[in-house]
Amino acid sequence: MMFWKVLKQYRVKGLLILISLPALVLPTICLVYILWQGLPVLNWQTLSGEGVTGFGLEHGMFGQIWGSLLLMLGANVLAAPVALGLALFFNLYANHNTQRTIFTLLHLLQSIPPIVYGLFGLFVFVHLLHLGISLLAGMIILAMIILPLLVLNALHALKAISVEQTESARSLGLNDMQLICRVWAPLAWPTMLTGQLLGMARALSETAPILFTATVFSGVLWPSSIFEPVTTLQTHIFYLAQEGGNAHVVSIAWGAATLLITLVLLFSLTALLLRRIDQHHRIS
Amino acid sequence: MHQQLNSIETVVKPVNKIEVEASRLCIDHLSLQLEGRAILSKLSTTLPATGITALIGPSGAGKSTLLRCLNRLYEQWQGDITWGGQSILNRDTDLLRRQIGLIGQKPAVFPCSIRDNVIFGLSRQQRRAIADEEIHEALKQAALWQEVEHRLGEPAEHLSVGQQQRLCLARALILKPDMLMLDEPTSALDPRSRDIIERSMMELGKSMPLLWVSHDLDQARRISNHILFMCDGKLIEQSDTESFFNHPKRIESREFMRWSVCDC
Repeated sequence: MMFWKVLKQYRVKGLLILISLPALVLPTICLVYILWQGLPVLNWQTLSGEGVTGFGLEHGMFGQIWGSLLLMLGANVLAAPVALGLALFFNLYANHNTQRTIFTLLHLLQSIPPIVYGLFGLFVFVHLLHLGISLLAGMIILAMIILPLLVLNALHALKAISVEQTESARSLGLNDMQLICRVWAPLAWPTMLTGQLLGMARALSETAPILFTATVFSGVLWPSSIFEPVTTLQTHIFYLAQEGGNAHVVSIAWGAATLLITLVLLFSLTALLLRRIDQHHRIS
Repeated sequence: MHQQLNSIETVVKPVNKIEVEASRLCIDHLSLQLEGRAILSKLSTTLPATGITALIGPSGAGKSTLLRCLNRLYEQWQGDITWGGQSILNRDTDLLRRQIGLIGQKPAVFPCSIRDNVIFGLSRQQRRAIADEEIHEALKQAALWQEVEHRLGEPAEHLSVGQQQRLCLARALILKPDMLMLDEPTSALDPRSRDIIERSMMELGKSMPLLWVSHDLDQARRISNHILFMCDGKLIEQSDTESFFNHPKRIESREFMRWSVCDC
């Protein structure tokens, strides 16, 4: 009798815990497994490539880290001003219909699979515009992928500013530029920076689009211009993982995965920390 | 000597009258539609050159919208609004907004110090050149000086809601506006803060026109010299406060005073 009473009391809570458990457990298992496999491999020899041969491993991983970071930074540098401009246009000048169109378009762009972006980049930027497989082509295509995320985040940041503050500034005679610089920017920058960091994490984790447009398996350590291809951690893992029969090569792939995850987590956690600081500041 | 004084008087008086007339705000057949809905319809009035005009009416009457039209926060209206004989649409928007200050219902302070909030509406050069005495004067006019005298460098967010509202007032006053519009400025305040703002505004109303939106009929009676009664986007009645409350001309006005609702 008591058992049924307790069961009745906690059935909804229990059911929800049961359903939501995989969302926490599975990624944790995945993360722990990657670290367990990758951490023992990460040493100076693997990173520098000293005494290792074959599969491009002799060059170590510094080139790949550099390539990934270059692509990530380039994509963000290209996408950030566009995202900011669009978000400001949306808030300042777009009428209801334009706002609806922009919103629909952004969600549509966000739902396009990255591999399709890669294919588009290969035909348009690599072949049609003759950019070749290059850092620039990769940056542009990654910028296109993270653009909706950055715009939606910037819109969220601007929406969080109270109507009263904007109206007060306007009623004091501030023009559009003064409103942006003196009211919106100081209030919105923490959220916008958070979005930027999340955009960096997203750009760092994309593989498919740069596979066709920016990267080669090996041979390039430090690209001398934006028109040269790069090697990246993401594609390095992809190539190495295909050598399933070679235990050493696969273990290096785990090492690269650990490095990549560390970088992505670094940006994501910084974003999370910034958001928390901003929320704390707003509450106090 | 007497003759001389008389001649001065005759010269001076018309000039003053013209100046007073010139600073009047005239609304002529003002109509506004937002998303297909008529918010204001054919509203005409001329605001007195000094004193407090209370804009009263039920919720949704279009009172706040009217203020936003006068401040050019809304511009898609029909009809005409003139200020100093010139349509406000032909005036520089930013300058007009400095001349006709607007204080909102909820105080909105900016994330900077109390001092910087007061001078927020000034240009960069003015902010650099402004004397501390001017800032103090604006704070005194807004009845906030005594409370913030020793903490001008503190963040404005640390002030209470009532103090923030008075800070918004000081911020508008330092621009030396020719007219001030207040959209239910005391609705979110405690009685003490409300009294302070009312007293301060009644003092200010002696030298400039104030347009005060209020839901509180007692307050309107207490503070105002003139009444504009609006309902459903239309101006139902306008008169001096005494006449409006003692001898309302329209049945809608009587109903509103009795039930606080209007059946237009």
